[in-house]
Amino acid sequence: MSDRGVGASIARKEDDRFLMGTGEFTPDVQLPGMWHAAFNRAQIAHGRLVSVKAPSGAEGQVFTSADMADIKPIRSTASFPGFKGADFPVLARDKVRYAGEQVAIAVAPTRAEAEDIADSIEVEYEELPAVVDMNDGREPSAALVHDHWADNVCCETQFENGDLEPARAAAVHTIHRRFRMARQTPFPMEGRGTLAHYDSRLDELVVWMSHQLPHPMQRGIAHFLGLEINNVRVICPDVGGGFGLKTHLDGETMAVCWTSLKLGRPIKWIQDRLEHLTCDADCRNHQYTMTAYTDEIGKILGMEVECVVDAGAYSPWPWPIGVEAATGVGNLQGPYTVDALKGRSVTVCTNKPPSQPFRGVARPGACFTDELTMDAIARTVGREPWDVRLDNLVPPAAMPYDTVTRKHLDSGDYPEAFRRCVAAIDPESVRERQKTPEPDGRLIGVGFACFYEQTAYGTGPFGYSAWGIELVPGMEMATVKLTPDGGLWASVGIQCHGQGLETTLAQVAASELGIDPERIAIRHGDTATAYAGTGTYASRSIVVAGGAVAQGCRELKPRLARIGAHLLQCDEADVAVENAEVRGPGGSVTFDEIAEAFYHHPENLPDDTDRGGLTVATGYNDKVHGGVFGFGAHGAVVAVDPDTGQVEILDYAIVDDCGTRVNPLVVKGQVIGGYAQGIGNALYEESDYDENGQPLSVTLADYHVPAAPMVPDIKYDYMESPSPYTTMGIKGVGESGAIGPVGAIGNAVNDALKGLGVEIAETPITPRRVFDAIERGRAR
Amino acid sequence: MTSTTISVNGRTVTADVEPRLSLADFLREHEGLTGTHTACEHGVCGACTIMLDDRPARSCITLAVAAHGAEVRTVEGYDGDETMATIRESFKKAHAVQCGYCTPGMLATAYDIVTRLPDADRDRIRLELAGNLCRCTGYIGIVDAIEMTLAEIRGGS
Ligand code: FES
Ligand code: FES
Repeated sequence: MSDRGVGASIARKEDDRFLMGTGEFTPDVQLPGMWHAAFNRAQIAHGRLVSVKAPSGAEGQVFTSADMADIKPIRSTASFPGFKGADFPVLARDKVRYAGEQVAIAVAPTRAEAEDIADSIEVEYEELPAVVDMNDGREPSAALVHDHWADNVCCETQFENGDLEPARAAAVHTIHRRFRMARQTPFPMEGRGTLAHYDSRLDELVVWMSHQLPHPMQRGIAHFLGLEINNVRVICPDVGGGFGLKTHLDGETMAVCWTSLKLGRPIKWIQDRLEHLTCDADCRNHQYTMTAYTDEIGKILGMEVECVVDAGAYSPWPWPIGVEAATGVGNLQGPYTVDALKGRSVTVCTNKPPSQPFRGVARPGACFTDELTMDAIARTVGREPWDVRLDNLVPPAAMPYDTVTRKHLDSGDYPEAFRRCVAAIDPESVRERQKTPEPDGRLIGVGFACFYEQTAYGTGPFGYSAWGIELVPGMEMATVKLTPDGGLWASVGIQCHGQGLETTLAQVAASELGIDPERIAIRHGDTATAYAGTGTYASRSIVVAGGAVAQGCRELKPRLARIGAHLLQCDEADVAVENAEVRGPGGSVTFDEIAEAFYHHPENLPDDTDRGGLTVATGYNDKVHGGVFGFGAHGAVVAVDPDTGQVEILDYAIVDDCGTRVNPLVVKGQVIGGYAQGIGNALYEESDYDENGQPLSVTLADYHVPAAPMVPDIKYDYMESPSPYTTMGIKGVGESGAIGPVGAIGNAVNDALKGLGVEIAETPITPRRVFDAIERGRAR
Repeated sequence: MTSTTISVNGRTVTADVEPRLSLADFLREHEGLTGTHTACEHGVCGACTIMLDDRPARSCITLAVAAHGAEVRTVEGYDGDETMATIRESFKKAHAVQCGYCTPGMLATAYDIVTRLPDADRDRIRLELAGNLCRCTGYIGIVDAIEMTLAEIRGGS
């Protein structure tokens, strides 16, 4: 067993190239004869396209949707009752439905020239009233985003489990609140980008994409362009962050692929920040209505909830809008023992960019809602919120526990993790401090949030497959091979864009075979090297690809044992495969020697050598199909300036449990990275619009991404409750950190404001929103 | 086209460029030095930070013609530099890198902090880093790495 295997905090294998500046991102790839693309984009949020005219002199360098009529209609499927479909246009057709929607592609030898041409394309619109707010969009008088729909509601889902009547009847308190989250962008530091070229030797369209899902993109590009899978290769090289943004087939990519084939030359499009902030303002825009019924001490008896999601204009393939809202409702009870829940989700189309998953999907919204409700309950019953939480958390004795929304929580000691978080924050000392006014007049507050993280989601039973989505995860494949010099090579269908999987998957293999991670190469992000896979999203890769790599190593072992035993001239039953060697009663042979025999001296092999050789293609399939569950508890202490509305985080604690930690350094990095994004969600990030649907947050002066001074140090602790269902008990951890901050910070702010009798119920908690709440309190 | 002469990592380069060409694009497209990344191209995020006459500068809002006569040092230009070697080692130890996209700009700023502010504490490091956005790490590992480097340099001298 390698001491650099699972559990070791080794430095990442991928770091060297990034530190030397020799990583290779899509924008870095240069091909001979390559041209650049730029897009002409809609200047208005909603309108009919009357005409699109290329500037003279740019003949053959500008293309519109009319030129691309041979691309098959792109339409996401879903089986939600009443789900309304609409084609996702590669380039706007007939109508534009959000400001920034791509209308035409322009190509030229340099990007600057392509931008010049794109800017001089003349587009005539007949402007229509824009649907800017999701609630307005539900009014009968609202303009229609899709003319062939009767209204703008794309779908509604209902959920009911447990009997709400007794809960209502027994309730001592009924707590009713409405919460809202602003729209924002995922903001990876590298935006989207695509380079396509046709390789005539291989008869293959090679697509370099800054993306998280190589194989699904290969399938989509091939299908919609009418090509065979054999004729499309997708390479996702180094990718500068994804966070869910890079999980759909974007119109720009399709247009770039089409134009490259049309012109027979490599075409590259690299999204700039203006395009990202304009076109990718695609997430978190939810509204929740919550009614919680509790007994006299705040134990929740039942909930009635509604989640409305502003889905923007389209469903991008393969994710149908509707998933977001259903996910919101499906997690609203949080990690608590709630017996009855009745929920409704409503997905509304508006004239904004199409909604996309972003780290945590709807879970930050659900956390904001259930955690702020929890504190509202505590204030109502006159108890401390940490005491009320402890009474409601799923106890360890109840594990595995099926939540009212049918999440199978597999393991963990939630109350203990939460108690550790409370101890780290020491809220009693905050209560002491609150008794005396602060010298600077600021108001101090303390808040907590508890949540589970659903990771490594499989086929269902209450998700992807049941929702009728085209992309159903579940079976994850790996190819594992002992190389001729005794190293290990493994290829996987996931994509690593910062998670350290080149290291952690090597650690998994190292634990299985004893080969040092330095001698293990992990290949990912390329349909030509990986057999199959659905990519990296939803905190799945270390669980499923880790499971597949481990399985591959396990299937290699008997093959190594047979050859090794033959070389040792002993019985196969008497050998052990470990520490990169096969050990028998009288000695051992190294994997290097076994590889040497297999690849170069077959005369030394036993006659019954496994014909599969030293390569295994195998897979991992979840024992449970609804994912495995991590847990997190966050605590925050804040100071609120009543004169400016400014919120400062004074203290922050996180206790996280993601089961077996493959590399504790990487786990902590994931949690902290998520925490920083959660701070952005809670306090800073907002993609705002005017009443005509014009985006107002399109530079970094208007859209505030947390910088280092806005992300304070944390007190960090962990627990390790291995999942009973996964290889080595691993759970995912990618989204965890991003879920809690809205809840903990929101509660801390409300605790600070409680003397004024007001609450914040909308993110981001900007100085203006805080100040308005304080003014409301003072006016009472 | 305008002629510009720039010392890039110690090598003198003369080129005819369009006056509107940014130094970042010049380095990336003309010189093939793709270690310099751009992420906002309006001077806020710091991803494109390079050393211009030994001071950190945003190459996305510096024109190549304006760098005429200057000495430019990019992430590719630190061979044999012990301070940068220590910073890089600390970045690895402290897990200050995730996707790696902000990293070259972070290293330039880290180099500036380490050489200019030998006594910087965590608050000061954070303040100095305010012009470099990272979406992955939450900065704590980066602050750790710079602190670690400063401690190492202090211990070694
Ligand atoms: S790319 Fe230069 S500061 Fe952002
Ligand atoms: S490591 Fe990804 S942006 Fe900093």
